[in-house]
Amino acid sequence: MGIERIKSIKDLPPEENVFSGTPACAGCGALLSLRLTLKALGRKIVIVNAAGCFTLLTIYPYTPFANSWLYTAMASAPAGAQGVRDALDILLEKGRLDPEEDLKVVVLTGDGAAYDIGLASTSGAIYRNLDFYYLCYDNEAYGNTGFQRSGATPFGSGTGTTPPGSVRPTGTELPKKDLFEIWRSHKPPYLATISPAYPVDLINKFKKAEQYKGPKLFIALSPCPPGWATDPSYTVKLAKLAVGTGVWALKEAVYGEVSHTIVPKKFKPVEEYLKEQGRFAHLFKPVRQEETLKKMQEMVDDYWKRHQLLL
Amino acid sequence: MLMLRVRFHGRGGQGAKVASRVLGTAAFLEGYYAQDFPLYGAERRGAPIAAFTRIADEPIMERGVISEPDVVIVMDKTLLRDHQAKPLSGLKKGGVIFINTPQSPEEARAEYTIAGQIITLDLTKICLDILQRTVISSLAGAVAAKIVGLSEASLKAAVEKVISEIVTDSVILEKNIEAALYCFHAIPAVELKTTEAVQMESRVFTMPFEPAAISSPALNTTGTTVLRKTGNWRVFRPVWDYDACNKCQICVARCPEGCILVNEEGFPYVDYENCKGCLICVEECPAKTLGKEREVHAKADSEEVIG
Ligand code: SF4
Ligand code: SF4
Ligand code: SF4
Repeated sequence: MGIERIKSIKDLPPEENVFSGTPACAGCGALLSLRLTLKALGRKIVIVNAAGCFTLLTIYPYTPFANSWLYTAMASAPAGAQGVRDALDILLEKGRLDPEEDLKVVVLTGDGAAYDIGLASTSGAIYRNLDFYYLCYDNEAYGNTGFQRSGATPFGSGTGTTPPGSVRPTGTELPKKDLFEIWRSHKPPYLATISPAYPVDLINKFKKAEQYKGPKLFIALSPCPPGWATDPSYTVKLAKLAVGTGVWALKEAVYGEVSHTIVPKKFKPVEEYLKEQGRFAHLFKPVRQEETLKKMQEMVDDYWKRHQLLL
Repeated sequence: MLMLRVRFHGRGGQGAKVASRVLGTAAFLEGYYAQDFPLYGAERRGAPIAAFTRIADEPIMERGVISEPDVVIVMDKTLLRDHQAKPLSGLKKGGVIFINTPQSPEEARAEYTIAGQIITLDLTKICLDILQRTVISSLAGAVAAKIVGLSEASLKAAVEKVISEIVTDSVILEKNIEAALYCFHAIPAVELKTTEAVQMESRVFTMPFEPAAISSPALNTTGTTVLRKTGNWRVFRPVWDYDACNKCQICVARCPEGCILVNEEGFPYVDYENCKGCLICVEECPAKTLGKEREVHAKADSEEVIG
């Protein structure tokens, strides 16, 4: 492989492309995912931002970005990206833009737009083989409006719209959508899951993606202190636990071929991840929901067994 | 008709909304009519928010935010210098301002040139001591209940009702009641006899409809959020000890804000004006050389550029 991979945290690109002073919550895991992603993508990009927590990063007259930024409705960021890409291509073709000044087009969305509202336009963009990067900061709910359940919310989580109660003690009863598989069925050139706690893996995935023209998609599981009801200082610890317990599989797919990039040597019990978070507190108190906890562990085990990485 | 208007100013996550709910519920349980509701800006946890409570002995027909309060509860003293929050704005003559600070009322009066009756108490410390956390909702609600003259029994019942709707853990509930009652007794009873508003700092003004070119302005400069000092969101600050630091730069990689820099010798240091105090860096430092300190006097609270 002709790509230069980085080996340690010390090799992270030093340049900051998202500046401090943003309105994001203290300890926002999504902001850390974005910061690392933009270290990989550099400054010569246009961000097309679907409505969500991160449309609030840029509130007039302030911007944290070192690049251009365009706001779209929740459903239409990939369509906006198509427009920007087409405009750039036309300018390049007419010789009105120096190829040196070409920009990468980057869609930035939360899970609400990625898993639910904007899924159709994303499918369309992948289908048309649009040359773009797509970053979904997945905090597993509509974080911006008070943490309501989205298609990314996992089974057993309490949210604003699925609070645990006597009728539905588990909180959310449906499992998280498998967005990776939905996208993979379109066979884009590059597709990956990433984590803000694994910056080396994250950067190397972007470096690898760079060689492909077409849709390059990234889903970052991003701990959200207010929504997950966790201490802001635990954000990275939780992101690590998600990977260490097998809840969040770090993987990539090149033209649909899946490989796992980080597999825990020994999986930690899923409970270790759950018990740190207020959104799962009802599974432990006042009574331990044994069945639900067992089911959650099985769902994770099944995944790894299917991929023959857990025997 | 008696009508009291109370405005809470806090930072997202501190519990201003719940504080106003505790107060409204206590008033309701004591037989009054009550309204309580929050107002969020476009920002998130740590950013200034306000919440409002109206208490009356007849049905309340008034709606909307409270611009001329009888009582102002400032849950984070850094807000006093925040040009967006403007907590003192509209406070009435004879009204009461409560500030969560270790300072005495005289010190606070001198520092912020405040007219009106001032009461202070270090709610954050009490909360850390009793609850080991910094969500001061029931404590601020208790202070407000005392100021408006509600009874201890109504307060206790209100905290029980409101907090049990939020947390399932009975220990946390008990501690909230303990902390609330402690604060209720720690501040003096006051007399509230308010007249017209005196401390007018800003008025609500309406924006005229503008041409599209103005109302969707282009921003042709980069990284300007740095000018917004999010350093005053902190309750704790990270502090570095270079003697034990091995320059691994893990703290640099872990900071969501990207505000840890590296000096010429390879040691990390932070831009305190923008560090929000999430303490991920402290949690992640493998050498455990990074510590935390309670932020008692706000360091970066005066230079916001635009109000
Ligand atoms: S709500 Fe969650 S995802 Fe949104 S800014 Fe806050 S921490 Fe980040
Ligand atoms: S406390 Fe949080 S914001 Fe401040 S330097 Fe550490 S990681 Fe960054
Ligand atoms: S993480 Fe700790 S040891 Fe490493 S550079 Fe930062 S302060 Fe030094």
